[in-house]
Amino acid sequence: MACLHDHSCEDHDCSSDFSLYKHVDLSKVSALNEAVPGSVKTVFKAWEQRLNSSEGHLESNDGDPELLVFIPFTSDVKIKSIAVVGGADGTSPSKMRAFINREGIDFSDAQNMQPIQEWDLVENLQGVLEYQTKYSRFQGVGNLTLHFPENFGADATQIHYIGLKGEATQLKRDVVATIVYEVMPNPSDHKTKADNGGGLSQVE
Amino acid sequence: MVLEATMICIDNSEWMRNGDYSPTRFQAQTDAVNLICGAKTQSNPENTVGVMTMAGKGVRVLVTPTSDLGKILACMHGLEVGGECNLAAGIQVAQLALKHRQNKKQQQRIIVFVGSPVKYDKKVLEMIGRKLKKNSVALDIVNFGEEDEGKTEKLEALLAAVNNNDSSHIVHVPTGPNALSDVLISTPIFTGDGEGGSGFAAAAAAAAAGGVSGFDFGVDPNLDPELALALRVSMEEERARQEAAAKKAAEEAAKQEKGGEQQSTSQDATMTENVSAAAPEAENKTSDLMDDENALLQQALAMSMDGPAASLAVRDTDMSEAAADDQDLALALQLSVQDSTKDQGSETDMSKLLADQSFVSSILASLPGVDPNDPSVKDLLASMQSQPEASSDQKKDEDKAPNEEEKK
Repeated sequence: MACLHDHSCEDHDCSSDFSLYKHVDLSKVSALNEAVPGSVKTVFKAWEQRLNSSEGHLESNDGDPELLVFIPFTSDVKIKSIAVVGGADGTSPSKMRAFINREGIDFSDAQNMQPIQEWDLVENLQGVLEYQTKYSRFQGVGNLTLHFPENFGADATQIHYIGLKGEATQLKRDVVATIVYEVMPNPSDHKTKADNGGGLSQVE
Repeated sequence: MVLEATMICIDNSEWMRNGDYSPTRFQAQTDAVNLICGAKTQSNPENTVGVMTMAGKGVRVLVTPTSDLGKILACMHGLEVGGECNLAAGIQVAQLALKHRQNKKQQQRIIVFVGSPVKYDKKVLEMIGRKLKKNSVALDIVNFGEEDEGKTEKLEALLAAVNNNDSSHIVHVPTGPNALSDVLISTPIFTGDGEGGSGFAAAAAAAAAGGVSGFDFGVDPNLDPELALALRVSMEEERARQEAAAKKAAEEAAKQEKGGEQQSTSQDATMTENVSAAAPEAENKTSDLMDDENALLQQALAMSMDGPAASLAVRDTDMSEAAADDQDLALALQLSVQDSTKDQGSETDMSKLLADQSFVSSILASLPGVDPNDPSVKDLLASMQSQPEASSDQKKDEDKAPNEEEKK
């Protein structure tokens, strides 16, 4: 589902809409199968800069057009739509599959798992196309993983810009690791370093 | 301090029974694995290490990535050697084990020990390498043991396919006296990618270097600093004393060589006798170390003069047991021994020569760095004086000849 802007972009400032890039935790953004490690960070920028590739772009390894981009956010966000600007000559991605709130997805996982939504992309060199999400599924997104399995026939896939439109809540979705609910305190659950070093601890 | 999950793939195939790495290839490998586990867990407490075998009944994961060093060391115990190594399956299983690591933030790394021949195609290995690179898994290869043709090539191709920004490495360990673990300590496998190394690795490297190259005094300063210090100080004192004695002996040798310039063989024989008299004297004064310096000094002086003086120095060298391993020296020695047995000159000739004050002082004056007015030199001369006086004729002859040489 693509949506073409029905207004000229000079009047309406689209940049304010694609503001979720500010909430992307850039230090933790990662990609798999990128040719230059760390180049994935250059695709998250302001909407006006979407065609400016002076700082580099994301490119996959030669001969392998698959790309996997992991995007963590600094707070939970609601994503309304996603815009992707690819490269010329068939290097644009042709499919996009999204997973939310799953860490550590690699290619075999991505290929086997059912995505939360997937889109067929078209070549979008000017960056005026955006792809709407099923909004109800994209509430409270702590991190987003985008999988681009194919492109338009080139050896490698290039992505110059990924834009995210939506709202940022101020909440942080933290996964609770382990919780111990106690009715009565159990000393073995509260071992200190001194206990481990030796000696018995007396608990009356 | 990179946060890393590592899987170590051990080669426990039949090829590991070989003893070209002491004690056996398998033992050397086990030691190396223990060291690596220690280094990884020390460099970052949250690092995890897992171990698996590639041969035996089949590819088997002994322990999944854990930070508990005891568990890892325990599972290394009681491993059996046998079967054939399955490199491709091993690497793939390692990748799977890493994929299911508990802490997804850790970087993935596989360390493979390849000791048996590689039966897989280069293409297959390259494909595996590409898959690893795609999933951003780094690979370290330790190539040791069997030297198959094509094995090195295949492993290098695998490394090239995996390598992403120099995070993967390959180390070739040839057979030799050095233990596998010692060789590995200095490689990036231990020290991490140019981070300067963990403290563990550095300490282990220091210990290994000490053991291998041999500290000067056979004592590791880390283990026993006081003993090492005491040994070093005493060595320096001894060296200073020997240098002083060497200087004296060198003066005598110089005089002997100047005397030896004369063409008569009898003189040579005499000199040999006197040199042999002087040499035991030298030996009595000093240890072998001094003899080395003495011999070197004489050889140097001999080089500046020529012919008989050189052979003289050579003989003297041999007498002082310093350079017995030189074949040329041995030959010259044989000749000189033959010569010396012909003539039995008077042993006192040399002492008579030295007894002549004027002669001695003239010699000393010609020597560089020797001040005839130096008290120690004067003492030496005085001791020479106590020896029996030579006949004046002999003295004069010998006197004239050295004087002529000095004028040269």
